[in-house]
Amino acid sequence: MGANLLANYGEAVAMILFGIGFGNLLLQSNLIKKIIGLNIMDTAIYLFLAEKGYIEGRIAPIVVDGVQSVEAYINPIPSGLVLTGIVVSVSVSALMLSITIRLYRRYHTLDLDEISTRLKKEGL
Amino acid sequence: MYYMILAILFPILAGTYLLVRKEMKNRRNLLITVGAALIITTALVAAALCFSGNGMLTLFSLTDKLPIIFKVDEISVIFSVMTVIIFVCAGFFSFEYMKHEEKEKRYYGFYMIVFGILIALCFAGNLITFYLFFEMLTLSSMPLVLHNGSREAILAGLKYLFYSLCGAYMALFGLYFIERYGNTLTFSPGGVISAAAAAEHGGILLGVAMAMLLGFGVKAGMFPMHAWLPTAHPVAPAPASAVLSAVIVKAGILAIVRVVYYIFGASFLRGTWVQTAWMVLALITVFMGSMLAYREPVLKKRLAYSTVSQLSYILFGLAVMDTGSVTGSLLHVLSHGFIKSALFLCAGAIIYMTGKTRVEELRGIGKEMPLLMWCYTIVSLGLIGIPPTGGFVSKWYLAEGALSSGIPVFDWLGPVILLVSALLTAGYLLPVTIQGFFPGADYDYRTFQKKEPSWFMTIPVLILTVLSVFIGLFPNGLVNYLMQIIEKIV
Amino acid sequence: MDFVQNFPAISILLCLFAGIISSGLKGKVAKHVNTVLILIVTVLSASTLLYVLDTGEAFVYVMGKFPAPWGNEIRAGVLEAFMALFFCIIMLLSMFGGRKKLVDEVEESKTFLYYVLTNLLLSSLLALVYTNDLFTAYVFVEINTIAACGLIMIRQNGRTIEAAARYMIMSLLGSGLLLMGICMLYDLTGHLLMSNIKEQVALIAASGEYRIPLLVTIALMSIGLSIKSALFPFHAWLPDAYGYSTVSSAAILSSLVSKGYIFLLIKIIYRVIGFDIFGASKIINVLFIFGLMGMIFGSLSAIKENDIRRMIAFSSVAQIGYIYMGIGMGTQAGMAASVFHILSHAATKSLLFIAAIGLTDVSAGSRKFIDLTGAAYRNKWAGVAFTVGSLSMVGVPLFSGFISKLLFAQAAVQVNGKMLPALIVLGISTVLNAIYFMKTVIRIYTPVEEDRHSSVTFKDMRLYAVTLVCFIVLNVVLGVSSQPIVDLIGQGLAMFS
Repeated sequence: MGANLLANYGEAVAMILFGIGFGNLLLQSNLIKKIIGLNIMDTAIYLFLAEKGYIEGRIAPIVVDGVQSVEAYINPIPSGLVLTGIVVSVSVSALMLSITIRLYRRYHTLDLDEISTRLKKEGL
Repeated sequence: MYYMILAILFPILAGTYLLVRKEMKNRRNLLITVGAALIITTALVAAALCFSGNGMLTLFSLTDKLPIIFKVDEISVIFSVMTVIIFVCAGFFSFEYMKHEEKEKRYYGFYMIVFGILIALCFAGNLITFYLFFEMLTLSSMPLVLHNGSREAILAGLKYLFYSLCGAYMALFGLYFIERYGNTLTFSPGGVISAAAAAEHGGILLGVAMAMLLGFGVKAGMFPMHAWLPTAHPVAPAPASAVLSAVIVKAGILAIVRVVYYIFGASFLRGTWVQTAWMVLALITVFMGSMLAYREPVLKKRLAYSTVSQLSYILFGLAVMDTGSVTGSLLHVLSHGFIKSALFLCAGAIIYMTGKTRVEELRGIGKEMPLLMWCYTIVSLGLIGIPPTGGFVSKWYLAEGALSSGIPVFDWLGPVILLVSALLTAGYLLPVTIQGFFPGADYDYRTFQKKEPSWFMTIPVLILTVLSVFIGLFPNGLVNYLMQIIEKIV
Repeated sequence: MDFVQNFPAISILLCLFAGIISSGLKGKVAKHVNTVLILIVTVLSASTLLYVLDTGEAFVYVMGKFPAPWGNEIRAGVLEAFMALFFCIIMLLSMFGGRKKLVDEVEESKTFLYYVLTNLLLSSLLALVYTNDLFTAYVFVEINTIAACGLIMIRQNGRTIEAAARYMIMSLLGSGLLLMGICMLYDLTGHLLMSNIKEQVALIAASGEYRIPLLVTIALMSIGLSIKSALFPFHAWLPDAYGYSTVSSAAILSSLVSKGYIFLLIKIIYRVIGFDIFGASKIINVLFIFGLMGMIFGSLSAIKENDIRRMIAFSSVAQIGYIYMGIGMGTQAGMAASVFHILSHAATKSLLFIAAIGLTDVSAGSRKFIDLTGAAYRNKWAGVAFTVGSLSMVGVPLFSGFISKLLFAQAAVQVNGKMLPALIVLGISTVLNAIYFMKTVIRIYTPVEEDRHSSVTFKDMRLYAVTLVCFIVLNVVLGVSSQPIVDLIGQGLAMFS
């Protein structure tokens, strides 16, 4: 168990980061901190993918001087997935930030719980 | 065979039409419409009973295994005849009575819909059809309960709904199991549970039978789920209380007859703990209902408690599963139906003419409306079980069946409790008569004036009274007819 | 290859392009584009369904030029095509029903955006239904989330923005877990296409290796998707989001968006993990228990609610609980019941939302029960429709809700350990449903003395009334002639594996 953990320290770090990000997104009441948590969570997943996709001593499958054997290249799909994921997470973060701006303009606070209590007072 | 569908659909459609159409300017037109609808329905039901034979009519299928079936058999005949008579009588009574209530159109609309649904319940050929209309009955009779829209009425309506739905769910729970273990849900005399299934899953099936008894027992006001009945029945307008108390609760009895004798089969349940538990519950209800009625000061509530008690006479008879007792039960279904609707109509007429609701206010009422009070007295004697009224015959068969059944303890305990309860019945019904006709020396005859209601009110009461006496005087034909049915199923 | 096989891909792409084109159009034109689009997609899905029923087997459509293990695929079987068809119908009706309200609640300069978002939402729903590739599914899950968030927010007030924020946060948590699950599964199997993963998962499970990672993966994916579909206790965002957005959005969100995720979960269960392996894991019990709790607590919250829209929203929590209970039973029958309930709930809940808006509109816009007294007399169509919806939710025979309850119960009777809890909770929840829906029905039919509010007639709301009638018909059809649909579902589920 311990040995596996050491060998796969990249994945272990990714999991810890994922937990941190998840916790922040769930538990923080400040919207900006929530968004930071979201980004940490997503990044952790990309780290996990990248770590899994890379094999020591191999190169990206870009043919420079003639096709070499399969052993020389890594699988490009994880890297592709990371890129796609980054695009998704950028758009989601942008949307969250825009919601945050809207809420801040209306209520002059970033605290989601406080916004909720104020809404209840407004009795909308 | 299509008369069955017509007899069911016509009143429902007529009711829907009344609900949907604009308020009629002329009250007379409304009454003519309703009267015509009642008479046409009667004719259609008669046609359905005469021309259907033993045919089965499959309407459509909910799923492959769950068809909607209608069928006329002997039990349908008894229940549908009773339903029609009482509905027509109470309907004509309403013509006068509903003058002092609002939203008449809505009342008649739901009245007709309930009528149609009850006919459908009588004709239902399998359990799923029955369940379908049972649920619809609850929903469509609820507007009758909460007719006057007061807070009290709405709470009573919700209570009614809550109890009925709980009960219906318990019944549905059983339906799932029977569908799995029984081969079919179609009602057939003697039951559908095969011997193999009974041997293998006997325990679970008994539990299911108990659940279904309790569930359908809610509608019939069986202890421990009886509390809705005394709340819900009195708040409705009097003719509606009459049909609620005399016919709609009989849907619960019909359900139990169908489940016990046409689904599980008497031989499957005889001698099991289910039968014992059922008899205990029925006897508790008989006694408790009478006691509560005895202590109740408001006349309509008193009658509602009396319904609780009298229905459990029927349930007890069914639970004994003896030829005599079941005959008594079915006879009591009829006689209680006529008697209780007559009683409620009398109470309604009293409210309509004098506005008095409590028993102690009714001193001298017999002098004011003698005809009505004579009817009241005669049917009261019937309910107590004094010859020559219908109640005597049915109770006689009930007691005789229980005595000859040979079930330990219950063969003597049952008749004893029935007797005690009959005395209590006398105790809660007759004071109205006694005070009514003999108001005592201090009664002030100067304020006395005749208050006999119009013929629209008295004739239905008279008809019902005559019918209840008729059953008592000439029971033989009816008893023979019932015996034929019962030999097939017990 | 038959030409029909192009239809699923065409319909997804059509929706995407329609979204792009609509962003340059005016509101009124975009409205027509949206209607025509949904109609076209309905026809396409219907012909796909007929085609698949005709050939009797599912077909795979290769996107691009790369074959199986590398390329991206679309797969259409009976259930997929049927779901697509059903989603289109519900969407069309929801859009019609809420159209008048949309004009009042959304600024005119922004209406075209609403149609852009609906087009995108439809495309992502279709993609979720049809795709055979897990990562594509993830991407469209995110598109779905973003579009849904936009639908909530398009009506601008404090409540909706806050609801959108909460919705986004919960959804992002869910999709984070889903993505993590997909990555781990990719790591375990080396594939992204569902069919290939399933082969590998079967091998892994047979070999007995990687048991914990496999379990973690299943847990991550099912919990992620259940958060997104608002399974109890992850439902906190739901009442505000459904309760305050414009009515079409509420109807679409409750009946389609959450159902899209559930359908994806069912697909993952059958086509990725394998039904038996999923059934053997303990996750199924977690879903079952959460489902049962949702059925009770959702209804209890609904009883306490004093606001008709929020009450309907809480009832959705209970109904989602039903669906997860069916999934949690771990039998084919339970799954079929769940799929049927997806249909029946979609048909009923959107009807209720749209009927409720008709009732509140004739009560000076107030959603409190006390003001709704007698509303059914002021708007007769909405009153009848609300009653029908309520009866269906309570489970009265002849309406769709009864059939789904019947199917759930029949499924429960066959599962030994879970029979009693399932039946008891079904009973309790039926009674609780009856309490709050019947309370509302009685309230809207209680006459008021002098009516301060104006009433509406058929002429004021032709489209609205026709929509309601269509919904009622849909409900009754599902309730009365359910057997063909149940057969269809069974056939579709069989085609999954």
